Order: sequence, then C-alpha cells, then structure tokens
Amino acid sequence: MAAGFGELLQLLADNRHLAPELILAVFALLILGLSLLVRDRRVLGWFAVLPLLLSLFLVAGMMGLLDMRLVGFSAFAGPVNSALAGGALAVDSFSLIFKFVFLSVALLVVGTSISFLSQKDRHVGEYYALILLATMGMMVVASSQNLVPLFVGIEIASLSTYALAAFRKRDILSAEAGMKYFIIGATSSAVLLYGMSILYGISGTLDIGLLSRRVGEAAWEPATIVGLSMLIGGLGFKMAAVPFHMWAPDVYEGSPTPVTVLLAAGSKKMAFAAAFKLFLVGLVAARADLSFALGIVAVLTMTVGNIVAISQTSVKRMLAYSSIAQSGYILIALAVATKTAVAGGLLHVVMHAFMKGGAFIAVAAVAWLVSSERLSGYKGLSRRSPFLAFCMAVFLLALAGIPPLSGFWSKFVLFSGAVGAGDWFVWLALAGVLNSALSLYYYARVIKYMYVDDPPADAPPVRPGPSPYTAVLVIALAATILIGLYPQPFIDVAMTAAGSLVP
Amino acid sequence: MMWVELAWLIPVIPLVAFPFILFFGKSIPKGGGLLAIVAVGAAFFLSLFVVVDVSQGNLPVHGGGEGEPAGGGEAVHAYESSMVWTPVPGPESPLEVGVHIDNLTCLMLIVVSLIGWLVVIYSVGYMAHEEGKPRYYAEISLFIGVMLGLVVANNFLMVFIFWELVGLCSYLLIGFWYKKPEAAAAAKKAFLVTRVGDILFLVGIIAIWNYFGTLNFGAIQEQLKTMLGEGALDVQMLTTMALLVFGGAVGKSAQFPLHVWLPDAMEGPTTVSALIHAATMVNAGVYLVARSYFLFEHAPDALLVVAWIGGITAFMAASMALVSNDIKRVLAYSTVSQLGYMMLALGAAGYSASMFHLQNHAFFKALLFLGAGSVIHSMGTNDMREMGGLGKKMRLTSLTMLVGVLAITGVVPLSGFWSKDEIIVSVFHSGNWPLFLLAVVTALLTAFYMFRLWFMTFSGKPRSKEVDHAHESPCIMTVPLLVLAAFSISTGFIGTPFWPRFQEFINWGHHGGESFGATSGMLMAVSLVVALTGALVAYLLYYRRAASPDRAVSSGAGRAVHTLLTQKYYMDHIYYWFAERVVYGFTRVCDAFDIRVIDGAVNSMSDGAVRAGGRWRRSVSGNVQHYAVGIVIGLCLLILLLKFALPPLDELLGGWPGLSRWRWWEGWGW
Repeated sequence: MAAGFGELLQLLADNRHLAPELILAVFALLILGLSLLVRDRRVLGWFAVLPLLLSLFLVAGMMGLLDMRLVGFSAFAGPVNSALAGGALAVDSFSLIFKFVFLSVALLVVGTSISFLSQKDRHVGEYYALILLATMGMMVVASSQNLVPLFVGIEIASLSTYALAAFRKRDILSAEAGMKYFIIGATSSAVLLYGMSILYGISGTLDIGLLSRRVGEAAWEPATIVGLSMLIGGLGFKMAAVPFHMWAPDVYEGSPTPVTVLLAAGSKKMAFAAAFKLFLVGLVAARADLSFALGIVAVLTMTVGNIVAISQTSVKRMLAYSSIAQSGYILIALAVATKTAVAGGLLHVVMHAFMKGGAFIAVAAVAWLVSSERLSGYKGLSRRSPFLAFCMAVFLLALAGIPPLSGFWSKFVLFSGAVGAGDWFVWLALAGVLNSALSLYYYARVIKYMYVDDPPADAPPVRPGPSPYTAVLVIALAATILIGLYPQPFIDVAMTAAGSLVP
Repeated sequence: MMWVELAWLIPVIPLVAFPFILFFGKSIPKGGGLLAIVAVGAAFFLSLFVVVDVSQGNLPVHGGGEGEPAGGGEAVHAYESSMVWTPVPGPESPLEVGVHIDNLTCLMLIVVSLIGWLVVIYSVGYMAHEEGKPRYYAEISLFIGVMLGLVVANNFLMVFIFWELVGLCSYLLIGFWYKKPEAAAAAKKAFLVTRVGDILFLVGIIAIWNYFGTLNFGAIQEQLKTMLGEGALDVQMLTTMALLVFGGAVGKSAQFPLHVWLPDAMEGPTTVSALIHAATMVNAGVYLVARSYFLFEHAPDALLVVAWIGGITAFMAASMALVSNDIKRVLAYSTVSQLGYMMLALGAAGYSASMFHLQNHAFFKALLFLGAGSVIHSMGTNDMREMGGLGKKMRLTSLTMLVGVLAITGVVPLSGFWSKDEIIVSVFHSGNWPLFLLAVVTALLTAFYMFRLWFMTFSGKPRSKEVDHAHESPCIMTVPLLVLAAFSISTGFIGTPFWPRFQEFINWGHHGGESFGATSGMLMAVSLVVALTGALVAYLLYYRRAASPDRAVSSGAGRAVHTLLTQKYYMDHIYYWFAERVVYGFTRVCDAFDIRVIDGAVNSMSDGAVRAGGRWRRSVSGNVQHYAVGIVIGLCLLILLLKFALPPLDELLGGWPGLSRWRWWEGWGW
C-alpha cells in the first residue's frame, strides 16, 4: 500500500503541470457533494471561484507572467514546455495562452453567476460543477497532441455547455437554446469525428503533429479533401464560422447570460485551439488550396457576421453576430499561417475573451438595471448609469479595434501579419479592415444611444444601488484598458507560442 | 538601491492621486486638496532625493542599454531606464517607455514639483469658496503628474504624449469656470492655437523617426555623432527637423506668432495661471528646445530662427504689456516676453543662461501671479484702474510682490539680474546687433511695466470703494508667497559669474560663462542702468505723477502706437479674418465634396449593407432542421470548392500562385 501511495505521489509530481486541470476536476466533484449540504448559492459560487483562481495562478506562473520562485512554487516556474501522458498532452506556451483565456473567462462567468442566479434557480451545485468541467475540457483540448484527448476534451466541454445552455429549463428561450445547441452540436461532433477518422485512415496515426505532416504531404485526393472539409465544418460549428454559424445567435440569445459568456468567449476559443493545432502544426493550412478555402471562410464569416449585426434590435443578439465576425478575423491567422499572423490570432483570442466577455456581462448588468436587452433600452444610459455606459462603450470600442484599447493591438498584429505575408493575403487584411469599419457602425450606434439620446419618457425605472456585476466588470475593464496600454508581455508570449507552431 | 531608480514614481504619484481625488474628493478634507498636497509633496521630496543622487554623481547604469548620457562627449551624470512598450514591425527600434534623468531633468523636476506644491497649498486658501473643488484638485494633480512625466521622458514619443496631456489639462483648467463664456472661449482658443504647434511637432517627430529610426534621445545623439564623424549628416534635413520641433515649442511657449492664446488663458483661476501659464507648462517649449539641443546645435539656421522668434516675441509682448490695465494680463504678456528671452538665449547659444533664466523666472513669476491672486482674492477684480493704495491694506502681499518686481526687472542682487545679465552677455557674444538691441530695449520695457503694475496697484490713493474692504489674505496663501519670495531673492546666487555653480551643473559642453572680465562688467552695468531707468520712468509717471501718461497717448503718433498696442498688433483680427475667410471657405468646399461625393458613395454602400443585413436576418428562421441542412450544404460547398473551383481559378488567373503576381500595392510605393 505504501509503495502504491509513493507511486501515486511520483505520478502526480511527474504530471504536476496538469495540476490546473486536476484541480478543476476535483473541485467539480467536491461542489456536487457540497451542494447536498449547503443550500446557499453564493457559498457554492465562491467555492467555484477558489479552484479557478488557484489554476489561473499556476497557469500564469507557468506562462512566466508571475515569478513563481518568489512564492515558493518553483516547480511551476515558467516558461514551461513539457510533454506528458506519453506525448498525448503537452503543456507549452501555446496551450498555456489558451488555458489562461479559458480560466479568465470561467472566472468572469462564475463571478457573474454569483449575482445572476436567483433564489428561484435550482441545481446551483450542478451549474458550477458543469462550468468547471467545461473549462477543464477546453483546457484538455488546448494541451492535446493526439486526436483522442482532443475529441474527448471537445466533448466534455460540449456536453457540459449543452446542459448549461438549458439550465433555466422552465424559461422557454433557454430550453430552446439548449435543445438547438444540442442537436446541431451533436451533428457537428459526428461530422468532426468522421473527418478525423478519414484523416486517420490516410495517415495511419492519431498523433496530431505526425498526422498533419503526413496529410500535408499526401496527394490531394478526394478522401483528403472530404476529411479536411469535415474537420473545418466540425470545428467551424464551434467557432460559429459561416456557414456553420446559424445556431449561434439563437443559443447566445437564449442562454443565461453567464453561459453566453462561456460560449462566446470560452468554448469558441477551444475550437480555435484545436484548429490551430490541426492545421498549423504540419502546415496543412499553408497548402495554397486549403489556405484559399480558409480565407474564403474567414471573409464570409466576418462579412456576414457584421452585416447581420447591423440590423439587430437586441443588443445581446447583435453581440452574438459580432462574435461571429470576430471569429472571421481570427480565421485570417489560419489562412495566412505565418508567425506574426498566428501571433495576432492568438492575441485576438486573449483580447476578445475580455472585451466580448465584458460586453455580455454589461448586457446582463443593463438587463438587471432597466430590465431590457433591447437597443431602445440603452437610450440615455449614460445619464441613468454612467459607469455601465462607460464600460459598455469601452468594450464596444475595443471590439471595433480603436486604440489604445486591447482590441487594437491584436488586430494590428494580425493584419500587419497578413500584409507582411504579401500575396493575396493583403486582400484578407483589407477585408478585415473594411469589416472593422463596418462593425463600427453598429458599435457606435449603441454608444450614440447611450450618450447622445435622451432616455425615453416611458423608460422602465432604474433600480437603485450599484449593479452586482460591478466587480466583474471592473476586472474585464481593467484587462481591456491595461493590456491596451501595455501590450508588450502578451505580444511576447503570443510570438513565442506562434513560433512553436509555425517556423 | 538609489533614489534615482525610483524616479519613475515621481510622475506616477500625482497621476495615481488624480482618479482618487476625482471620484472621492468630496469625502477628502478640503475637497481633495489634502490628498493633492500629500501627493505633490511626495513627488517633490522624491525629486529632491533624486537631485541629491544626481549631483553626487555615481549613477547606476540600467536597463534599456542607453546608459549614454544626454550630454554626449564628456561623462555627464545621467541615468536612464526603460522598457519596451510595443514592438514595431520593421527595422526601427521598438517604442519604449522610460525615464532619463540628467541635470536638465533635475532642474525641471525641482521647478515643477516645488512650485506645483506651493501652488496647491496656496489653492486651499484661494479656492476655499469655489464650487467643484474635487475637479480642480484632480486636474491640478493630473497636470503636475503629466508635466513631471514630460520632464523625465526619455524619448520624443513620450514627450509628445505628455505634451498633449498638459495641453489637455491646460484646456480643462482655463475653462474651470466653464459656465463663464469668456473662460470657455479662452480654453478653446488655447487648445486650438497650441494645436497648430503640436501638429508641427508631430510632423517633426515622424521626420526624426524616419531619419534616425528611433525616438530615444540618447540613441539619436549617438547616431548624430557617428554621422558627424562620417560626414554623412544632412544638415538641411536636420534644420527641418529642428524647426518642426521648434514649431511645437512656439505653440506651447506662446511665442510669436502663436502667442495669442496666453493672455486669454488668464480667464482661468489665478493659481492655474501661476502654475501652468507662468511657471511650468509654458516652459515646456523652452525645455523641449533645450532637451533636443543636439538637433539644433548642428543646424545654425534653425538656431538663428529660434533667436529671432525669441527676440521678436520678447519685444512685442513687452510692448503690449505697457498698455494693459488688467493685472493678470500684464503678467501674462510679461511671461510671453520672458519666454521669448529664454528662446533668444537658446538661439544665441546661451544654453545655460536660458535654463538659468527659466529657473529664476519660474520662481519670481509664480510669486508675482500668486501675489496678484492674493490681490484679486481680496478685491474681486483684475482691473488695476480700480486699485491703488493697497500697500497699506496688504502689507505682506505688496512687499513680496515688490520682491518679484525687483527680481524680474533685474535689480542686483535678485535672481532675475544674474540670469538676465547672462542672456544679454550671450546675445552680445553672438554678435547679432539687432537682437542685442531688442534684448536691451525689452529689459527697459520690462522694468517700466512691472513698476507701473506695482505703483498702480499698491501705491497712491484708492481709486474705488473695494479697496476699503480689502484685507490681507490668510496664512495658507501668504506663506507660499514668502517662500517664493525667498527663492526669488536667492536662486540667482547659485549662478553668478563669481560662483557659476549652476552653469557647471547644467553644463552641456556649452558653458558660455567665460571668466568675469571687462566686457561682462560693462554689460552688467548696462543691464542694471537699463532696469533702473525703466523703474525710474514708471516711478515718475505713476507715483510722482510728474506727467500724465494719458496725455501722451491722446493724439498723433502716441495715439496710433497706443491703439496698435491695445489691439495687440491686430494679430487676433488677422487670425479671425484668416479663419473666417480662408479656412472656412476652404472647409465649405470640402464639405460640399464630402456630402456629394464621399457621403453619397458611403451611404449607398451602407444602405446596401443594412438592406442585406435585413434580408439575412430573415433567412435565419430559427428552425433547427434548416440549420442542419445549412451545415450539410456548407460542407458540400467546401468540398466542391476544394475539389473543383480552385484549379480553374488557378488557370483563369494564370497559374498558382497567379493571384500573387499582381502585386498591386507595390505600385503605391509602399
């Protein structure tokens, strides 16, 4: 027994870089147990914050953002680059960036949920456990070096989020969102798995690096085309890339807002983590044909997202379409597949998590304040709640890419990567810039409603007191502004991570 | 750990205080004043420690690699530390944030933080009865923070950012009483006029960036040295860059022809006038020229322009001060004139003389403004014609003001005498007789209008009822006056020809102060005689009433000159005419083009986008089956695209990567 225990300890020590995932898994189970004893939803919420903070701390240390030696965690001192589980998982700067994003988003989600969940909501323990599990699934995807953990991770995250989307099952919109998400998600999973099996058939390996390289070198035969298309389709569903995007607005709008944040800022990024790995490692994406196809999908995605966003009357739905458009920008990185462009894509993944997450939380706060998610409810918001209006304006301007906010830098690096790659990629950058200008139309409209227009005479009364979301909003706001003012550390990390994928 | 390594904290402390005062000012004693005093005081003491460190030498070489001092050549004590702010795609060095501490920085740090601190303390008394104190103290803290940031910055970009921020603070504080239309208009005017200079400065920065590939002061100097060694320096380019940078200085330091904003800026609270529009911000232009002197010193044409602009400004402003009856406006013109003096000295290679005058002027002008503030505080008016005889009521104010007047006039041994004398010496040595004449005449005029101000305010009989109710200001206001008066007397002693400690400290390899000889002695006598003559005339006219100045201007040439001066050389009229006719006319043409052509195109495009959006929205039915079908169709299209569409496209465009052969952007000279 003692020997067994010793071996277990050794096993844990060897795999210590997976501690963030393990912590989340253990706490997810603990919360389930705790929820039988504790009825207070706030206590459960704070209990869910704990593992997230701990994991985020470890991840930041492994990224080299914190000096772990100072606090006695030298085992986690960064920058970490290790292969685990027989090469099936890897903890490196690429996966850590994504883990950082997932954990930050999960923190925002839990922080929002503590205020969002009401006395009427039941199964609060399960709710938090599912959030932790979904986050863990996403983190596994980011670390995967093999198709099996990749798919398993995607499924863990997906199944958890299906249930979360339908969390308020008595709310007809939420139930509908969950149902749609589940059906379309299951279809896409099938497509993705089928694509993977075809590629496995071609290459004879499940190791992503090897598989990509072999597929990249293989002849351009129908099976390859079908396999790659299905991969794009399956991941495109998660990314909400056109034409696989149609579920997204319905689900984003219908889900409880914290879950929307998790979907838009978290699980979508998981698909990018997988896509970056699958397409960039062996430089499959650099094949002219595939690159062109990805470019078309990118342009389609951003254009459709932006154009449809213009005519939305619900701010939440508008943000959903804007989220689709943002996926289009990140897709540029896949099509261009140079180091700078990929770094730009990674940066956009990070920045987008905070600005889009923040925007959705602001929507929740406004809904709490004036009981409306309609655009008309935002009229004169600057006079009814100056802080909320300011937050919303900052997030929207960041999304549009206005300097000196964070969104500017990621778009700057991304587009300059595309321009630097030359060739027809310049057109992609051009499409991106034009789309940014287009997006400003609907972002600026919200700001105009908030700052220029007067509140309508029959406006619903404003609830007194500060909004319960203030703390979470301040975090997202600080990240959006501070990263914008001093982007250098993040640009450095993104460049390192991009360098590990693309020479 | 040396204090100098904490130099970056100096601007940060007041900057951090800014939001706290803004948001929580109401719950801080004195409407946030206490926090402002603490923050600025901390910045002052930190500056003091840093200066002690620097003057002892032995500075650590740190960080950014550019340990090279700004002095170039000899080992001047300098400390530099920086970090990368953001990389730049291309061969240029990354943009950085950092501090550069050398002797020039030290001088400015002390001037800004000390005077800033005294003004904030004085404000507690002066602003006691005003509304919106948190806003006032927050903006003052912000100003002091960004001004200190401007001073410690180690590259042009940072200087520019802080440059704009001090401009913003100036705008906000001039318009502090924004409900008063004159104040709002003055704020706007200051903002717009300085903006002309800022644009030139920005263009200059871009030119420097293009030419040197870096904006770091030390790195530029290094490159200049190598270029000089190789004889590869493009002097014309250098002159252009220097003049563009000088353009920024002209705006900020209110030099001719952009001086028009400063007199109007007196609409702000007097404390603001003292701090921003006399002692610190307006010095930023002079400081900028001094800081980038490495550009100017090899561009003699640029230096000549600096000297002439300075000389003209000094004379023009002094002449306008002769006829003004507003106590603050006289001081404002005087500030413009003295700034011109400093520029003149810089242009005449009197680097240390200029910096010396900058330091002395900051103290005695702050003293004069705060003294005027004390008068205004008790009188409730700026008009000197309604004053008179205040000397008995406000003994402390009148005496400290007299110290300031004597200092600016240049009466031995007060501070103004030593620096003004040195400027006159350096102009004399430059051998430019017209400029020398301008300098001497300006000194004469300065003495006259300053004594006129003092006599009209404090001596003679009261000319209005308000004088009877006048009273001395509270301690919190008079103590800063006393401190400043002490400085106005003493700061000159560190830079006399007999003990040129200041010149050695600021020494930039340019120390003009050769040993005290016959020429300097004669020039000293000249400047003293000139000052006393001006004072004497003012004494006769405004104290003894030996002749009525009104009669001299009532007819003939006197009247014409008087009108010219009261109309400020018609500069404002010219600008209004230009703005109204030329700029506005051009704008209307552009507007028409914008509405007809550009808006037309954009509108039709955006209408299309909006309409397309509406149609797309309707295509999203909400039906899950449709979504699934969409996915399948999308997949099929993707497969078809990959399988069939690309090879024909390829052929169509002339072989892959045919698309890339048309490098359209190359034709644009990128």
